Amino acid sequence: MSDTALPASAPVSASRAGPAFRFSVAETAKHLILVLGSLVVLLPFYVMVSYSFKSPAEIMQNMGGFFGAQELFRDDYCVKLGRDLADCMVTPVIYNYTTAFQKAPLLRYLFNGLVVTISIFVIQVLVALPCAYALAKLRFWGREAVFGLVLFCLLIPVHAIALPLYIMLAKLGLTNSYAALVIPWTISVFGIFLMRQFFMTVPDNLIDAARMDGMREFSIIWNVMLPTAIPALLAFAIFSVVAHWNDYFWPRIVITGDRSLFTPPLGLREFKGDADGDNFGPMMATATIIVTPLIVAFLIAQRRFIEGITLSGMK
Amino acid sequence: MRSGGAHWWFVGPALFLMVVILLMPILMAGALSFTSYSLGNPGAAFVGFDNYEKIFTRSTYAKMFGATFRYVFVVVPLSVGLGLGAALLINSTKRFGDLYKTIYFLPVMAALIAMAIVWEFALHPTVGIVNSTLERGCGTFLEGWSWFARGCERGFPLWLTDRDYAIWTVAFIGVWQGFGFNMVLYLAGLTSVPRELYHAAEMDGAKSAWDRFRLVTWPMLGPTTVFVVTISFIRSFQVFDTVEAFYPQGGGPSKSVYVMMFAIYEKAIQQNLMGIGAAITVVFLAFVMFLTLVQRWLVEKRVHYS
Repeated sequence: MSDTALPASAPVSASRAGPAFRFSVAETAKHLILVLGSLVVLLPFYVMVSYSFKSPAEIMQNMGGFFGAQELFRDDYCVKLGRDLADCMVTPVIYNYTTAFQKAPLLRYLFNGLVVTISIFVIQVLVALPCAYALAKLRFWGREAVFGLVLFCLLIPVHAIALPLYIMLAKLGLTNSYAALVIPWTISVFGIFLMRQFFMTVPDNLIDAARMDGMREFSIIWNVMLPTAIPALLAFAIFSVVAHWNDYFWPRIVITGDRSLFTPPLGLREFKGDADGDNFGPMMATATIIVTPLIVAFLIAQRRFIEGITLSGMK
Repeated sequence: MRSGGAHWWFVGPALFLMVVILLMPILMAGALSFTSYSLGNPGAAFVGFDNYEKIFTRSTYAKMFGATFRYVFVVVPLSVGLGLGAALLINSTKRFGDLYKTIYFLPVMAALIAMAIVWEFALHPTVGIVNSTLERGCGTFLEGWSWFARGCERGFPLWLTDRDYAIWTVAFIGVWQGFGFNMVLYLAGLTSVPRELYHAAEMDGAKSAWDRFRLVTWPMLGPTTVFVVTISFIRSFQVFDTVEAFYPQGGGPSKSVYVMMFAIYEKAIQQNLMGIGAAITVVFLAFVMFLTLVQRWLVEKRVHYS
């Protein structure tokens, strides 16, 4: 991090004083603002995780600090089933997380989310990579037109054309299927554009050498180009997976009612729909479970994630 | 470079999908917007510009544009401004910069629908953490602020169900979710500002931090800003998750949060009024494409593709 010459930076003399800590009003003020901001940003995460630990009473009365007292409480549903009262006393955190999995097929939702995001990414790559290669390294009639089309299609947000896409899928009888969740995302013009820009930087003699060795164009893509493109591809993978794991709008439109096809965001939304007082804890547990995989992955590989998500910032 | 016809095998699938998935729907939306089509009906009646006339005359759609523009014009400046502010602060502090960066980026990674549900909880009038925290401020110096004193007396706002607050609260969540993304783009932009420029500016008498910002940082961040503003516009135009989570029916108190994506969803998917939904889609696409074209024009004044 730079410490000189930038706007609002501490006086230059302070930074020249070496690593020893020096009190500086400007520096303290900056941290004060940044910490306040952090508190606001973290607030809902705190609420989410904290409520996923607490009993209904603690949630309703706003007690118990972060972890809750973890005192046993009576699970009314279990009592209703006619079980013994002693068997129905549960620890809040265990109750919340087990209910999250029992009340709704959460594992199924997570599995669906995984299938959909992975299928989307794999198909996007299978379609985009050859096209990007041809646009970058092959000369053929109509190349400029195809690239122009790619540039035009970059203007179109897929969510905005959801309605005609929905009609098309409905006409084909494909709503309420994995296909409906995947098909609109199979073409990533952004992926084509990105990979094309990347392939432009790959030296031609690498490809020529491969051709000399008798490689077909098709295997050049997968054996020569793909390995050089791994960093860009990884960034694109993160971009794609984050977008589709978190997507709510599209699944909401094409999946109606059939729970076995719900993706995690839909499952959580359904949970909210029929949540009553006792279910806030389990609902927050569900939210935590859905949000955690990406957050953890992000914390482990921050640099890569930030690169991937901001990829769209590349010209 | 030769290519023995292989190229059409490479370009073909992408070309086909671009035409079928991206271009055809636009034409379809355009065509349907002149009809009163409903899914399940055998045909569709041509209604001319009726749907567009409704959009630009009826009060429901006036509310739709009102809500959308209010949302967009709060979220874009605030999320860009806070993104820039956070980036400048983080870039200039000596310690913990990476930690702040990580924290501010968290909302970008989290599923918005999940966080919307959590926010609804946090903003709950009686059990929510926001209002119960505010209540703790009662009886302190904060009561000197008339808004706060009124809150202590009559209860703090029903953030999501009071129509005076609803759209601003939803916009706040939009800012909360989006500014970390802009911050990261600005941080990347800042690393590419050459150091020498600051020294040169100092030589020329730019002594204060504000001068350095005005003369060097801000102009050098121009391309980043163009991009950040455009992408913020496009993202905020598409707001849906929070609105649907808070107001599954009808778009909030007195339709004050009836944004365009939600209107499309409600009209077309819930009520099966494809014609009007298609017309809103066309208007929406026109907005978004216009914005992107403006951005490209601004960018292309400096750099060229390929």
